[in-house]
Amino acid sequence: MMKVLEGSQAVAEAVRLARVKVVSAYPITPQTHIVEELARYCAEGSLDGRFICVESEHSAMASVIGSAAGGVRSFTASSSHGLAYMHEMLHWAAGARLPIVMVDVNRALGPGWNLWMDQSDSLSQRDTGWMQFYCADGQEALDTTLQAFRLAEMVHLPAMVNLDAFFLSHTYEPVEVPDAQTVDAFLPPYEPPFKMDQGHPLGLCGVAPPGVYMEMRRNMQMAMDSVPDLLDQIEDDFFIRFGRRYGSLETYRCADADVVVVTTGTASGTARVAVDQLREQGEKAGLLRLRLFRPFPSRAVRQALEKIEKAAVLDRNCSFGSGGIFANELKAALHGKGGTAVYSYISGLGGRDITVDLIKELYTKTRDADRPDSESVWLGLKEELMLR
Amino acid sequence: MEEFRFHGRGGQGTVLASITLAKAFFEAGYWVQTFPVFGSERRGAPVEAYLRLDKSKIYIRSQVYTPDHVVVQDAELLRLMDVTRGLKKGGWILLNAPSLPDQLQQFDGFRIACIDASRIALELGLGSRTQPITNTSMMGAFSRVFDKPSLEHIASAIAAEMPAKIAENVAASRAAYDRAMIYGMVSGASVFHPSSSPMEEGQDA
Amino acid sequence: MREAAKRIIPVPLLMSNAFAPTTSNKTGHWSPSQPRYQNKTAPCSVHCPCGQDIPRVELLAARRRFRDAWRLLLSENPFPGVCGRVCFHPCERGCNRGLFDAPVSIHALERFLDDEAWNNGYEMETPAVSSSGKRIAVIGSGPAGLAAAYFFSRLGHACDVFEVESHAGGLLRYGIPSYRLPLLALEREIKRIESLGVRIFCSYRVDADFLSQARQSYDALFIGCGNGRSKRLGIPGEELAVDGLCFLKQSMQNGSKSLEKAAGPLASPSTAAVIGGGNSAMDVARSLLRLGISPLIVYRRRAEDMPAFSDEIRRASAEGVQFIELSAPLSITAGQSGLTLRIQRMRTDGLGPDGRMRVAPIPGDTDLLQIDQIYAAIGADAAEPWMMPPPTADRLLLYHSVSLLNSEKTLPTVYGGDLVNAEESVADAIASGKEAAIVLDAYFKGGSACVAPAVERCRIGSGQGLSMELYMHGPRGQRSGRVVEFADLNAAYFDHSQAGRGEVIPPALSIGSFAEIEKTLDREEAVRQAERCFQCGLCNDCDNCRTFCPEVAVLIKADKGLQPDSAAAGWQRWIDADFCKGCGICVTECPRCAMVLEEPPI
Repeated sequence: MMKVLEGSQAVAEAVRLARVKVVSAYPITPQTHIVEELARYCAEGSLDGRFICVESEHSAMASVIGSAAGGVRSFTASSSHGLAYMHEMLHWAAGARLPIVMVDVNRALGPGWNLWMDQSDSLSQRDTGWMQFYCADGQEALDTTLQAFRLAEMVHLPAMVNLDAFFLSHTYEPVEVPDAQTVDAFLPPYEPPFKMDQGHPLGLCGVAPPGVYMEMRRNMQMAMDSVPDLLDQIEDDFFIRFGRRYGSLETYRCADADVVVVTTGTASGTARVAVDQLREQGEKAGLLRLRLFRPFPSRAVRQALEKIEKAAVLDRNCSFGSGGIFANELKAALHGKGGTAVYSYISGLGGRDITVDLIKELYTKTRDADRPDSESVWLGLKEELMLR
Repeated sequence: MEEFRFHGRGGQGTVLASITLAKAFFEAGYWVQTFPVFGSERRGAPVEAYLRLDKSKIYIRSQVYTPDHVVVQDAELLRLMDVTRGLKKGGWILLNAPSLPDQLQQFDGFRIACIDASRIALELGLGSRTQPITNTSMMGAFSRVFDKPSLEHIASAIAAEMPAKIAENVAASRAAYDRAMIYGMVSGASVFHPSSSPMEEGQDA
Repeated sequence: MREAAKRIIPVPLLMSNAFAPTTSNKTGHWSPSQPRYQNKTAPCSVHCPCGQDIPRVELLAARRRFRDAWRLLLSENPFPGVCGRVCFHPCERGCNRGLFDAPVSIHALERFLDDEAWNNGYEMETPAVSSSGKRIAVIGSGPAGLAAAYFFSRLGHACDVFEVESHAGGLLRYGIPSYRLPLLALEREIKRIESLGVRIFCSYRVDADFLSQARQSYDALFIGCGNGRSKRLGIPGEELAVDGLCFLKQSMQNGSKSLEKAAGPLASPSTAAVIGGGNSAMDVARSLLRLGISPLIVYRRRAEDMPAFSDEIRRASAEGVQFIELSAPLSITAGQSGLTLRIQRMRTDGLGPDGRMRVAPIPGDTDLLQIDQIYAAIGADAAEPWMMPPPTADRLLLYHSVSLLNSEKTLPTVYGGDLVNAEESVADAIASGKEAAIVLDAYFKGGSACVAPAVERCRIGSGQGLSMELYMHGPRGQRSGRVVEFADLNAAYFDHSQAGRGEVIPPALSIGSFAEIEKTLDREEAVRQAERCFQCGLCNDCDNCRTFCPEVAVLIKADKGLQPDSAAAGWQRWIDADFCKGCGICVTECPRCAMVLEEPPI
């Protein structure tokens, strides 16, 4: 059924449809609407699960680690400083191979104190062993949350579904909310390979000496390696049931493009409008939207950009001392393949809006350049502030 | 695609009005997108919300810089800010006011409509004398000015969205529809007299 | 796409999940120290003259095992209903909780448990002891005599009690007004003692002949006659004063008629002076209040030097009793309009060798009090010489609260109660009866040489109180005698809470009758109050040790039959030395100092 929903509400609907048994979270702007909805669902009984109130995000993650280890489907959500506070437990969840799904609403870290859209929080958790998805709209937020549970439970790794603060979390738009039976068929009850059980005691996550630790980590990497193919399989099934699929990345008007703009999240919709307008002006612009970031879909990226001369990556993040993180990942994926030159741009930090004009500027700069700068180019800076 | 901007104050239900209108438009067959200007809102502080309408899926997600029309739920805001910022020429300004505002020349080139939403809210017992809840009245006047969405779609969206006093809120939207004062284009410091057929006026422009 | 859906992609899942235990490592052998469960002694018990096992009583009460708690009280004291009302509860002064917020309401809880037992018809538990064949005569049926008889019986000795008055109870019946101790509360406790087979012969005057012939019928004597004869004022006109003890006795029997019997020139007195500063003086004054008289207590020292319990002084004052301190009586004369009491004003004169403030007359400073009646309540002593141990006896063994005469000429005779006890209170009298029972029983079993070790074995910590449970080799004997101090506790585990007492009838109402002033706690409040007990030194199954042990080396077993000393749910805990690393966390986290950390045995 189509409903006009806020991105946060779309996530909450997905969690309810997934019949999650334990939700534990600590509220933080802009994630609050998600947990408010879920707390209400648990209280009114429309979600047959326990909402565990905690005093911190660290404890929220510890709680869902406990419940997932106990063998039940578990969910949490956080943002920004809250996610940073979870950091230690994120490693734990992945190392314990627990299929926890978390929604992170991408928000900047302070200081300066900032409540708005920025990818620094989730990208700081890049190496924790969590899968990472970046969603473009409310429908995708709902669908990805459902897919994330199925995928996580197959590869035994936790999954982080990222929503742009406000641009997605607080924006209302029509979303198709699937019916419960169809979701049940897509996402059957979780059957853990092992679980904490008083009747059958076991030691979980004990000491792993040098003799086994490396193999355990190799196992995690192999599990990550299996994700792109498994995601394809899952999306085949999802498509049959719901009529939608996304892939690990999406391309738009790339076939004959001279410059492909590479985006993530909600900036992609605006970029799509910009690409259409550029095409109307006779420009050969294309769009590649990355949806899956961990594991990084290198094979799909290489395929998509095989014949593309220039890729202009828009990063709403910065790895200080290095540059735009998506651009760097793209360069690594394309390394040795010759062909595509990667242009790195940083903009839209801390909630700065990404406009159609900015995408056009990014396109034009790339089109006109002979070769990429060695460093990321910052777009939309206020020069009067930079002179101070 | 049409873009609307709503001005109000925290606590007046401005954001809720844009959401409720979006749902009414969705029922009427539109693709909709609505979101507030994001910040740490406080009661009484100026707030803005945007509403985009189209007949097909809306991809753009940047903020609205050049709205087609604006809705001002608190006339006091006229003294604090320029509500015509980015407003396209010929666009409507729907104002919660008992009559035309002073210094009409600031709206030169735009069209103006007024509704005494605060009075309607008071009559129907919505909110208090100092803080009337005017959002549903604004929605009724909106329907009259733009001839969409229909009062029926507004009524069903109110029934689905509003936390309390649904009958009073629906009545407010109907009363505002009837009492909206449609002046039309401001030229210099003068304006045409209220028209009985707003869209005719709009089509003329 | 469909083909891909069927392809099986293996996802490896190697992680450190151990299904086999690591117990084979036996990591405990290098432990530098070893924790051990060790129940200790609570300070309240040390302060209790009767050596009550207070933390265990409160634990049982907190768990609503009221009958068990009451029976536990009875194992150390036949008079929980009396003591729950009139004891001056030194236990609460010793309570560690006093250093945290306010002491546990031990006194009110004792009263509650006895009322609960009465209301529910709980029956006493009698120890399974076979008859010793010994017969003991007990002279005097006050708290000491009846307690002695009670414990003698429970140790298997037949007992006859001889009482000169018409009813048993001694001071409890004739010396404490019913607004403090209703007759019903006393009589039901006396009945319980009689139910053990104790025979009480009232209106029976014992004399020297009886004592000399007792050898034919009895194997031993206990003499606990109490202070039966009031001390004389020793001033001119003292015959005009009423004996306070007589007045109390009569007021108990006759109510307001006692006023008429009291000697005095006026038919309807309205004012009275009470000379003295002890509990009896307070009792006389407060009884007079209830009979419509305005009493004035005249005391030669300062009010704070009065030997009466501070609670009694406070309540007397609240009810409207007036005090004249630093005033010694000089003479009493009778006149047309009543009596004249001449008093000598006194001043303080430095601390005496006993640490008590001395007083001295202020020369020339005397005063006259016009008063309708005068009551003397300055204490009492033995009524007849045979009631006291012979001062020159060579075979007299002295203990804390009793003396044993072990002469070949007479029966073994134990003297107890107020007449030989430095401390004169109901609880001390009962303790004296208990000590007498232990002394005589040990004497019967092994002669005089066995007595002192037996008494020492029963001692509660560093105090004077003795425990019958210890004498009977009960589980309490497993505890260490070390007294738990507040600093020994881990107070982080306790929340602050309010102490509660039974509701007290306001003075304006209480002086209208002899009805009991204080009400008993209701059941929920009693549980709340019992839950405030820290259980100093007594494991109450809180399980902190097991919760915090990082090595899972605290083992636990439900064992209902074991009856461990905890009196708790019947859990048995022990430390698995194979895995304990001696970190001591269990000992640190024990809120109540029921564990110790020791060097391991070599």
